[in-house]
Amino acid sequence: MVARRRKRAARDPEDCIPSPPGYAAIPIKFSEKQQASHYLYVRAHGVRQGTKSTWPQKRTLFVLNVPPYCTEESLSRLLSSCGLVQSVELQEKPDLAESPKESRSKFFHPKPVPGFQVAYVVFQKPSGVSAALALKGPLLVSTESHPVKSGIHKWISDYADSVPDPEALRVEVDTFMEAYDQKIAEEEAKAKEEEGVPDEEGWVKVTRRGRRPVLPRTEAASLRVLERERRKRARKELLNFYAWQHRESKMEHLAQLRKKFEEDKQRIELLRAQRKFRPY
Amino acid sequence: MGPAPTGEQLCGAIGEPEVMEPALEGTGKEGKKASSRKRTLAEPPAKGLLQPVKLSRAELYKEPTNEELNHLRETEILFHSSLLRLQVEELLKEVRLSEKKKDRIDAFLREVNQRVVRVPSVPETELTDQAWLPAGVRVPLHQVPYAVKGCFRFLPPAQVTVVGSYLLGTCIRPDINVDVALTMPREILQDKDGLNQRYFRKRALYLAHLAHHLAQDPLFGSVCFSYTNGCHLKPSLLLRPRGKDERLVTVRLHPCPPPDFFRPCRLLPTKNNVRSAWYRGQSPAGDGSPEPPTPHYNTWVLQDTALESHLQLLSTMLGSAQGLKDGVALLKVWLRQRELDKGQGGFTGFLVSMLVVFLVSTHKIHTTMSGYQVLRSVLQFLATTDLTVNGISLCLSSDPSLPALADFHQAFSVVFLDSSGRLNLCADVTASTYHQVQYEARLSMTLLDSRADDGFQLLLMTPKPMIRAFDHVLHLHPLSRLQAACHRLKLWPELQDNGGDYVSAALGPLTTLLEQGLGTRLKLLAHSRPPVPEWGISQDPPKHKDSGSLTLGLLLRPEGLTSVLELGPEADQPEAAKFRQFWGFRSELRRFQDGAIREAVVWEAASMSQKRLIPHQVVTHLLALHTDIPETCVHYVGGPLDALIQGLKQTSSTGEEALAVAVCCYDDLSRLLWGLEGLPLTVSAVQGAHPVLRYTEVFPPTPVRPASSFYEPLQERSSLLPRLDKPCPAYVEPMTVVCHLEGSGQWPQDAEAVQRVRAAFQLRLAELLTQQHGLQCRATATHTDVLKDGFVFRIRVAYQREPQILKEVQSPEGMISLRDTPASLHLERDTRQLPLLTSALHGLQQQHPAFSGVARLAKRWVRAQLLGEDFTDESLDLVAAALFLHPEPFTPPSSPQVGFLRFLYLVSTFDWKNNPLIVNLNNELTVEEQVEIRSGFLAARTQLPVMVIVTPQDRKHSVWTQDGPSAQILQQLVVLAAEALPMLEKQLMDPRGPGDIRTVFRPPLDIYDVLIRLSPRHIPRHRQAVDSPAASFCRGLLSQPGPSSLMPVLGYDPPQLYLMQLREAFGDLALFFYDQHGGEVIGVLWKPTSFQPQPFKASSTKGRMVMSRGGELVMVPNVEAILEDFAVLGEGLVQTVEARSERWTV
Repeated sequence: MVARRRKRAARDPEDCIPSPPGYAAIPIKFSEKQQASHYLYVRAHGVRQGTKSTWPQKRTLFVLNVPPYCTEESLSRLLSSCGLVQSVELQEKPDLAESPKESRSKFFHPKPVPGFQVAYVVFQKPSGVSAALALKGPLLVSTESHPVKSGIHKWISDYADSVPDPEALRVEVDTFMEAYDQKIAEEEAKAKEEEGVPDEEGWVKVTRRGRRPVLPRTEAASLRVLERERRKRARKELLNFYAWQHRESKMEHLAQLRKKFEEDKQRIELLRAQRKFRPY
Repeated sequence: MGPAPTGEQLCGAIGEPEVMEPALEGTGKEGKKASSRKRTLAEPPAKGLLQPVKLSRAELYKEPTNEELNHLRETEILFHSSLLRLQVEELLKEVRLSEKKKDRIDAFLREVNQRVVRVPSVPETELTDQAWLPAGVRVPLHQVPYAVKGCFRFLPPAQVTVVGSYLLGTCIRPDINVDVALTMPREILQDKDGLNQRYFRKRALYLAHLAHHLAQDPLFGSVCFSYTNGCHLKPSLLLRPRGKDERLVTVRLHPCPPPDFFRPCRLLPTKNNVRSAWYRGQSPAGDGSPEPPTPHYNTWVLQDTALESHLQLLSTMLGSAQGLKDGVALLKVWLRQRELDKGQGGFTGFLVSMLVVFLVSTHKIHTTMSGYQVLRSVLQFLATTDLTVNGISLCLSSDPSLPALADFHQAFSVVFLDSSGRLNLCADVTASTYHQVQYEARLSMTLLDSRADDGFQLLLMTPKPMIRAFDHVLHLHPLSRLQAACHRLKLWPELQDNGGDYVSAALGPLTTLLEQGLGTRLKLLAHSRPPVPEWGISQDPPKHKDSGSLTLGLLLRPEGLTSVLELGPEADQPEAAKFRQFWGFRSELRRFQDGAIREAVVWEAASMSQKRLIPHQVVTHLLALHTDIPETCVHYVGGPLDALIQGLKQTSSTGEEALAVAVCCYDDLSRLLWGLEGLPLTVSAVQGAHPVLRYTEVFPPTPVRPASSFYEPLQERSSLLPRLDKPCPAYVEPMTVVCHLEGSGQWPQDAEAVQRVRAAFQLRLAELLTQQHGLQCRATATHTDVLKDGFVFRIRVAYQREPQILKEVQSPEGMISLRDTPASLHLERDTRQLPLLTSALHGLQQQHPAFSGVARLAKRWVRAQLLGEDFTDESLDLVAAALFLHPEPFTPPSSPQVGFLRFLYLVSTFDWKNNPLIVNLNNELTVEEQVEIRSGFLAARTQLPVMVIVTPQDRKHSVWTQDGPSAQILQQLVVLAAEALPMLEKQLMDPRGPGDIRTVFRPPLDIYDVLIRLSPRHIPRHRQAVDSPAASFCRGLLSQPGPSSLMPVLGYDPPQLYLMQLREAFGDLALFFYDQHGGEVIGVLWKPTSFQPQPFKASSTKGRMVMSRGGELVMVPNVEAILEDFAVLGEGLVQTVEARSERWTV
């Protein structure tokens, strides 16, 4: 089976590699040594009328099925033969919007382990996209001039990277907290300013901070109030006072027993079916 | 299409319809075929899942009929609950004989009767002249000594009567035995036949002749001999019908003397009927000292005379009362599950029936009682009455000629007299057997009274084989050794009484000896009863030594196991000599701290595991000293499984001590944290949250002393890094400690900001610990790693309100409500529930010292089966805890071995679909709450995970099993456990030694589609493997503390990193299995669904390729490239990737 498949794989490059409509397939391998290759499915990025996308039309190449060992740098290098690459972004899922540019803190949002990803490659010129679509491959992720680390090499360097620098962390925390404190201070100042001042329609906003704080508007608080009400009502009620109440509670008891009996019967039925009553 | 069936086990698992998830589609056709048989057996027609009951209002509230009210009232009075009533009814239906079968048996009995009376007679000959016997049959009796007076002739029986439980209707399946008494004609017997086994010889010859003739009859499928209740002087003839009924019934023929033939006064327990002169060829000392009494011999003769009167008594008492019969049947099932009724000297069904008769006659049981009530009353009676001290009697007459109960107590250990007042029904029952019955009855009574659990299931449906019920067992293997022991113990009168059966003769003294020696360490000692053999009529009867081995079970008292000292009397006391005599050379004079000089025995034991095995030392010492049984004949099974949780090169300890050292270090650290000065907020709680801190880490951590030459130092961050040119360094897992800080208005109310403040605290903590205590620390945003005495702790600062902040959701109206989010649940689990669980299990370990061993063995086994990553640590710990908190019908295990066996039993039998596993930590859940949990479980079943474990802290969600296992993986574990349990039990019960105990720990590898073999060089825990490698790599550790105080490499385990990458990249296509304890192979199983060709979709191209198939473009996994990816991703770690491509097709 495998042998047959291999033969076909060897023949494939000459024929046209099957690719889904609208996409071009580019074989990609880790290095020379591998025999079989994965296929990148690429097409020019385009969206239907009316949908918004932050990726520049025409200049963006949409790449599917990027193997886990392929980084943004290597993808950029591999496609640079088609034209100058402006940016490469790897994502887990196709996403129309560019991710926020400001880099997320590496201390608080560690990089996830990569799987197969999709990429948006933005070329400087639209010609890059068409050149990429015509690319024959196979692309090699790791070459002698640009080795990509994998396995033990990668894990050891990852480990070295993961040893944190406390100073950098401290600086980051301090800057964040300063900004946060400032934001809070502003909000508070604004709230204080607005307190007791009616808006255009004459409504006054009541907050928890004023001289007479009100109940917080939380679910828990409202549930507490309801519960208190219910208890108050229950205290007033008479139990088993009238004859009909008596009758009803008896009936209720009987109904409970019946329900229990039904449940038990079902349980027994199940156990019987499983042959659970055979003590040997 | 799709992968071919993946091995029998797993395809069984996949083909089975499951509850939680639709079974994986596309299982191969063969797979369905293989599992279809199983499904019809195991799966109920209605999907196997309980549904919440829905009754319409009209049905619930309709007027009750009289009948219904009666039924309900009866249930309330006569049974515990309606469920119990239904269960009992079902059970009785199952064990009772159907009318159809009864008719067939009756027909067979009539045939037997006709044939027996037609057996031809033979002329009279001397007893010793047995030449007349045909060649094909041997006398079913050991005729030692051979010479005996008397004549024998065969005449057809004067009367053939069916006796025993068959007529009463209390015989239960599966072994249906019909006892038939053949009354021998008076002409065969002579006066004084009661003497010197003459009666027994004639009885045996009678059977031999009968057997010869019946064996030629085509009616019978098998004709063979056996012993009546194991008594080897009294053979009986077993007849089974030919054809399909062969297994239906066994008819046992017992010859018996004509009524009133023996004079009862000759057979009292004080009388002698086996003369020493005849038996030993010499008179006892010649000087007129009296012959020793032969109580057992006399009883065996008496038993034959009383067969019919017993039947009459039973049928008059039980005949008309269905409840009593039901009760007897239930009691028989109860005994059977405890293996008490089988073998020589067992507590048989007949004894129980007589006991019921006794209780009826003393008005403790009324004839209108239900079966359940009879069961309860009898158990209550057994639990509270010690028949070894206060015997009972069915005899009502006050005839002065009858012997007193005291006489019987002298001759027998257990006394229960029949209505004649002369026959002890419990003559063969040993004191240990009775104590075991009593103990079981007491346990069962507490279980019935507790009301919490499903008593029926635990009491009557759960088998209690010896190996699973007792902490340690020991086999005495060549039984012939006991013969010498009998001589050593001077048991000649007993041998004479028992007709040379040295096993039964030695049993009593042996158990007494061991009970005395084990003293406070022992809760209960039980012995297996020699099985009753069956043999063909042309063979000689089996010898005593052929009955296999004698197995003793020890139930240990955990509090007694901690002491290594046996304290004797003071040296000048008269008891001291006795003590010295008992313990022999092990007894020494010792001076104690209070100044007393006493005799004492000290056993060598340094660690917990060795202390647990002190009983082994005691037993071998005492047996060698007092009974001449050498150590080679005592096969003690107490700790063969310990080897699997022993650390590297530590064969003396199973790691409890090492864990205690780590816990101690943690205690020190928590004190340091409490006393830390200069933190803006004070520490409000320090809680452990790591398996080590609850004693359940399989391999306890050892202090790390890194050799600096082995690592790359990173001086500016004072850390060590692994080096490329060296093997992977030792694996150090930091132990998580949660450190709560006090609440304060200063905490921000925003999740992101709380994170930053926590990070600031982590930094500050590291600084302060370094400044004030000189500890090596490393802070990150989420935790601070601290190196203390070679142990690494990972301190996580927690703020109590943080989960709440994460939960807050503001509705459009401005109402703030709390909704669980994944992040909040995760945080709550890590900072609240995990510490609570850890402290609860830590407490459990203090209560039950064996908990650690059991939990670790269980975890080890699950991981060794490559399933460890699907089950969280906590879930397995809780299952192990359940064995201690809910041990019924057993008692909490005191040794890892028995605990592990029960773990396997629990896993293989628990019905996860319809039941939550309730682990009542600290006994916080009341009975009512448990009932509520169960009903809530049924209603919410479909939203709950496959495996539901409920604790007092976690009543609804089962947090530890939320993320797995999947139904298939759980099923796989169940299948593996069900296979491992009988295998392991067989190994442990083998008297010649257990053999290779690691067999059940080796995983089956033939079920996987791809095997990825790893290079040992980069497996840091390589030495922990089940089959520990003879040589492995140096892991850069020093045996002495080195100068380096840099932070060692933490949590660096290449196989785990590799697996993480594999799962992320190929998790949609395959499952990966690995044993984290030094596994050298990763098993890969393709997911059947992912191999089905799919239409192209941009979101699911991962690792697939487009192919044109039948003119259509479809996507299939790019298997060849993926296989090469396996090697690429694990470069350096992966040795080979073995694809078993014959197992799948794309």
